[in-house]
Amino acid sequence: MFERFTKPARETVVQAQGAARRMGDDHIGVEHLLLGLLAEEEGLAASALSDLGVTAEGVERQLAAKRGPGRLGPAEAEALRSIGIDLEAIRRRVEESFGAGALDRGAARRCGHLPFTKQAKKALELGLREAVALRHDSIGSEHLLLGLTRAADEPAAGALRALQAPPEAIRATVLAKLRKAS
Amino acid sequence: MTEATELAKAVDSTDPSVGLRAVAALRQLLEQLEALQVEKARMNDWSWQEIAAALGVSRQAVHKKHARRMGGR
Repeated sequence: MFERFTKPARETVVQAQGAARRMGDDHIGVEHLLLGLLAEEEGLAASALSDLGVTAEGVERQLAAKRGPGRLGPAEAEALRSIGIDLEAIRRRVEESFGAGALDRGAARRCGHLPFTKQAKKALELGLREAVALRHDSIGSEHLLLGLTRAADEPAAGALRALQAPPEAIRATVLAKLRKAS
Repeated sequence: MTEATELAKAVDSTDPSVGLRAVAALRQLLEQLEALQVEKARMNDWSWQEIAAALGVSRQAVHKKHARRMGGR
């Protein structure tokens, strides 16, 4: 389905995968697609989101607040020390058996392409349909964003709500930009 | 200081956030250790049933939790 994607749209998917990896996730979800769109700064999608005050940092903050600490970092080591558990000792043992970095989330070690979640696939498919409905020949970041507004599940939908950018507002902004451009 | 007194101190702490953070970190550590051990067991040809029995959970629970991550292996 990627043949008809514009370069920025393809780049969005690459960036989404990068975001998923950075966050230690083993699937590309709608929230990662949203971060991918925001990373593609030249695109119409990022510009529409920026008009609504939605930034990559804002979304990341919302997502981080929802999921809590993702890795066993210094804060976790300190918390575990408070109940008498030496995380470094455990880390050393585990790495002896499983190799370096074994305690960092499994997904982070995963190489190759990450699969999409069902809902992320749906968002991409809806993006394609948006392009067809608008009689556009290729699928750009703006179509992906339109598709995303109709398929956003948690935590993406919650993050957008918290940033006061509901799906209808995003849709209206993108469509207004498209009208202006044509 | 022994682990028991440390633990008692944490439990005794007037600030619940210290204890809660410790529990959250412990849960995270547990999840990671479980993922590693399940993966290793599967590579050693353990069945989901055997893994479930060792963990004391149902076969469905362990399969649902881990199979997708391991690409259905």
